Amino acid sequence: MMKGQRHPGWGLMLAVVLLLGVAGPAPAAEKVLEIGVLGPLSGGAASYGVELVRGAEMRADEIDKAGGLKVGGDVYKIKLITYDHKASAADAATAANKLVFQDKVKYIIGNAVGATCNAVQTVTEPQKVMFAFVCWGTKNLGPDKPYSFRSMLSQWEAAEPFYRWMKEKRPAIKKVAVISPNDTSGLDTNTAVVKAAKGLGFDVVSEETYERGTKDFYPVLTKILAQKPDLLDVAAAPPGEAGLILKQARELGFKGAKGWTAGVNPATLVSIAGVQAAEGVWSPVNINVKSDFVDAKVRKFGEEYEKRYKEVPGVIAVANYGAFDVFTKAMQEAGSIETEKVLAALTSRPYDTVWGKLVIGAKETYGIDRQFLYPVVISEIRGGKTVDIEQVLPAALKALQK
Amino acid sequence: MPVELLVQALLNGFALALVYVLVALGLTLIFSILEIINFAHGEFYMLGGYVTYFAFAVFGLSYVPTLLLAIVVVGLAGVVAERMIFRHLRGKTLNAFIVSLGLLWVIQSGAQLSFGVLDKSVPSAFSGILRAGGIIISVERFVVILAAAGLIAVLYTFLQWSRLGRAMRAVAQDADGAALQGVNIEVISMLGFAIGCALAGAAGGLLAPVFAVSPAMGALPVVKAFIIIIVGGMGSLPGAVLGGLLLGTVEGIGALFFGSAAVNILGFLMVIAVLLVRPRGLFGVA
Repeated sequence: MMKGQRHPGWGLMLAVVLLLGVAGPAPAAEKVLEIGVLGPLSGGAASYGVELVRGAEMRADEIDKAGGLKVGGDVYKIKLITYDHKASAADAATAANKLVFQDKVKYIIGNAVGATCNAVQTVTEPQKVMFAFVCWGTKNLGPDKPYSFRSMLSQWEAAEPFYRWMKEKRPAIKKVAVISPNDTSGLDTNTAVVKAAKGLGFDVVSEETYERGTKDFYPVLTKILAQKPDLLDVAAAPPGEAGLILKQARELGFKGAKGWTAGVNPATLVSIAGVQAAEGVWSPVNINVKSDFVDAKVRKFGEEYEKRYKEVPGVIAVANYGAFDVFTKAMQEAGSIETEKVLAALTSRPYDTVWGKLVIGAKETYGIDRQFLYPVVISEIRGGKTVDIEQVLPAALKALQK
Repeated sequence: MPVELLVQALLNGFALALVYVLVALGLTLIFSILEIINFAHGEFYMLGGYVTYFAFAVFGLSYVPTLLLAIVVVGLAGVVAERMIFRHLRGKTLNAFIVSLGLLWVIQSGAQLSFGVLDKSVPSAFSGILRAGGIIISVERFVVILAAAGLIAVLYTFLQWSRLGRAMRAVAQDADGAALQGVNIEVISMLGFAIGCALAGAAGGLLAPVFAVSPAMGALPVVKAFIIIIVGGMGSLPGAVLGGLLLGTVEGIGALFFGSAAVNILGFLMVIAVLLVRPRGLFGVA
């Protein structure tokens, strides 16, 4: 071998080693994870849909700013695909079909209004698409719907502690009137409220329903107020309609107590009802993101949300942000975006979320643990602002904590 | 059932029915003159609501000038719609039907993009409650009744006794005959469309503080207006008023006995009954 002659392979190997040393392991391929968000983005329940989308946007942007969602060896950028179903079950089914068969999503995180959830589930369950929603109704959760999760407390978790609180703290209330829309979530809410109220010894003097989109409540209120209730519970009425009911009840001379078992987005209620008609409305579902009763993470979320959208978020925005957070954490835990693996990871343990320690339970009500459980905060509207007055636990969470 | 409750129910029904009569009168006026059914008529009602929202709630104009502004602005919007679209479709009922459906979506989607999808609250223009025994009505609704009745009376007077009103009736009866008598059909068409839209704008302006405004708010009044027109008879002003009062009675009393969810069904049952027994409506001409 001649002196000074180099083997050409050594140089090449050195270059490769140096390159690997500088670059480290091969970068994970960046992929796109498409996630569907449904909701009423127009019509009387539009505020629900707007909050759902915003909650999802907030978490998706946080993930993207942090460099994407790292799952196994892959990094995903989040892409939201949003459809408006106008609170119509038929439109919701069409939108779900589009999401699942056209856009090929495996996750729909966000939907509201009970009947639309039933419609969406006819598509998501057979296709094993994971679905988180804030719809109310006992039939939205069950052993036959293992891919469905409710990310917000429903009337079945909230009504009993709410009416128990009322019985203990407001004993003058004896006669109760309830009004809700005449669809799945409305009827189910009325049922839950009536069951809770009667179970605690209240006299339910009126149980009324109305068509979503109604503007004139004088006729139904005339009938209700003739029964002279001590409490008018605008149970499952969305904020705009709840505001009109309370405004018109006041015009018709109602001066009793006001409840809103499914109350979300009180700012909209106050803007429609006016400060006087909204005064004193109690709600067990609503949330004041600035309150000391809520987790510090909720307060931080509220600040960021207000900075971005110039509005204070309601519970639906927080719930969908939380659902997005839990689902994506479960993907990381599973190391996969395959729904079967994510489902197993999701139901295996509590997750630390915007709600604090989030428990997924309520098998005793639905036959399967698919309900997000967290403490109930009872709030009251005072001078147009929401003031939290007490924290109580839903029975299902109490049972799990024992 | 106490009599007071029945009277209250009737009053509830009449208060809104009179406003829907305004919408119906606009619709029937446009049909009479241009022979088109404007399905986008509810969107002019919605525009009246938004003019009221911006003038009264945002810019702080007082209510009466606001209502006049809503009438003028929506009337002008009607002029634009007639000049640009509907004058070319006079007498072409099917074409106008399709175009008006398209216009409905254009205006509604435009409102969604411009004003957002959420309900916007308009503060009450008149506060307080009027009581007579057990009968209660808010001052706000009482003013709405008076204003709607006043506008109906003004329209009746205009059509019955003014030169332009007579020209409109002439065009409605026989456009060719009216043209031979020197009536300018194009001007009358434009004026009829503008007045029809202005009435819808007035209705929107009257109900904006009672409810709230939203891009989809025009859907319900236009359905009620169609019920009123079919029951009262297409093209008949007294028919529209009677149709409105009947609808108010049926809805007000019906809500007491069958619940509010059944109210919409009752209106359509009334339409079916009228169409079976008297297809031209109570005051319509065969």
